[in-house]
Amino acid sequence: MNAGVFSRLWILVRREIWESPVAFKWTPVIIAGFILLVAVLLLIIGARVDNEQVFTIDGVRMYAQMDDSQQRMLAAGAMFSVGSLFNQIMFLVVVFYLAGSLYDDRRDRSILFWKSLPVSDRMTVTSKILTAAVAAPILYFGGIALIQLSLLLIASGYGLMAGIDIFGEVWLPANLPKVWTVTLVGSLVQSLWLLPIYAWLLFCSSWAPRLPILIAVLVPILIGMFQHFWSFFSNFRLPDFNLLLVILERIGRGVMPASIEWEQVVTESQDGSSFVPSEEMLMSFKSIGNALASWEMWIGVAIGLLFLAGSVWFRRRSTDS
Amino acid sequence: MEPSTIHARGLSRHYGSTVALDNVDLTVPAGRIVGLIGPNGAGKTTALKAILGLGKFSGQLEVLGLDPSKHRDQLMEDVCFIADVAVLPRWARVWQIIELTERLHPRFSREQCMKYLARTNIQQRSKVRALSKGMVVQLHLALVMSIDARLLVLDEPTLGLDILFRKQFYTSLLNEYFDEQRTILITTHQVEEVEHILTDLIFIKGGRLVVNSSMDDIYERYTEVMVGPDTVEQARALDPIHERVLFGRHIMLFDNADERALGEIGEIHKPSVADLFVALMGERTDLPEAGGNTA
Repeated sequence: MNAGVFSRLWILVRREIWESPVAFKWTPVIIAGFILLVAVLLLIIGARVDNEQVFTIDGVRMYAQMDDSQQRMLAAGAMFSVGSLFNQIMFLVVVFYLAGSLYDDRRDRSILFWKSLPVSDRMTVTSKILTAAVAAPILYFGGIALIQLSLLLIASGYGLMAGIDIFGEVWLPANLPKVWTVTLVGSLVQSLWLLPIYAWLLFCSSWAPRLPILIAVLVPILIGMFQHFWSFFSNFRLPDFNLLLVILERIGRGVMPASIEWEQVVTESQDGSSFVPSEEMLMSFKSIGNALASWEMWIGVAIGLLFLAGSVWFRRRSTDS
Repeated sequence: MEPSTIHARGLSRHYGSTVALDNVDLTVPAGRIVGLIGPNGAGKTTALKAILGLGKFSGQLEVLGLDPSKHRDQLMEDVCFIADVAVLPRWARVWQIIELTERLHPRFSREQCMKYLARTNIQQRSKVRALSKGMVVQLHLALVMSIDARLLVLDEPTLGLDILFRKQFYTSLLNEYFDEQRTILITTHQVEEVEHILTDLIFIKGGRLVVNSSMDDIYERYTEVMVGPDTVEQARALDPIHERVLFGRHIMLFDNADERALGEIGEIHKPSVADLFVALMGERTDLPEAGGNTA
């Protein structure tokens, strides 16, 4: 690795964003605009229905009366729910992006141009996975930060009208530096968590003769169903290990801020009645650290690397025909 | 001595039971313009793909001293390639393609490229999708001519272009790009347009090289004679390899014939590459064809 490699990867990642500006640049902007629009519309409609401003100004006053931990929990909840919408849409966008990434240029023959550049196939594949796993979360984080700031500014406006201390009651509980760090680090760890799925999509797009997205989805579904039925025919028991369920669980569980720390909710509720919902459930470094320390994470990474190596293998052999 | 630009020994490629390349030996020194001519399915594209590191092959192949199947990325620093018109990414804008090439190609000169583009109507903001076929080729040529490469491979570069663009394409290549350090390898069906710039000619058919020599040797070896009706039988006795009829005159092609003897029975011409192609690559017929066959 030298400086040359990084600058080449940088231009290759920019290339990917040039190719799909809607997926990577406009979608986060559109989501942010949509959330803002809904918020503003709700406030306008609310103001017409709710003449006394019970739900807004009085609500803000009530919120200001709460104790600190509850304020933090509510603020974190608002920040988190905004961010998770971005993350879920980003997952879908990235799925489609990856499935097409090594396929589209084979189909339109522009692979002949890309292969006429002095760029190795390993570098090409690396640039695609970096775009999905690093560039996309950073760009979507931009949208998240933007909308969080806008919502806090709106809240501050109402706070001023309600005459509360907006710094102490709004900006401090929202704790943007922590929220932003957790969001950014969390989405990168989430990418690592999803690496086997991302790499599988890239792998399919490197060899599929057509419709790579369909192949990428159908193959695990068919294997999972086959496992399911086979287990009935063989021993009338559900299999302990079903590929489809493993994949769905991986997508569903995720890492903060794409997902809630359910494990904490479950274990603490079982301990007794001591469970109190807190911001830690939504925003904590601890659960990110736990994800990084789990063996499932690193098995997934290993599988992902295998698929990436397979993608390079097929990419090296592919031309326009 | 400088190693040859392309050096192949026993180059072969099979697709199932079809033989696309059959034990081809080929050496191309630097400073040549080689025409690789053959009918459809003769193995031209397979050969080019092997040379560019885009396809598998068996046998020995070195391009600029590198094995293209292992070192494509390194090789592409010195090799440029224009396939027929449609390979520039259609979503990209002109400035994006220039930026990419500049960042990724160590021997690209943006200044040169801008100079070439200034002569065209291509706008930096335009998407490739919005350019006409001719403009896409102009853009690709501007990119390639701004790269200081040693081998330029052109695969049907002017397919589907009108004659003005085609003429301009080869004129720019010859006047502003080609020199003794570079080698150009061209495949095309429009033989007439390249024959005047070629230094070497390769005919390929069924995966084998039928002709592989310099243009000088070709003109030395093959002679075309136009004979009137009265000397036809006399000329046929000298065993022409091909015969066609044009406006009542018989045009015969001879391989290694005695020019003096031919001069006595008709007018001697240099054969055109197209006529040679028809004579050597078509089915050999002893009967003259009914219609005139000019290319």
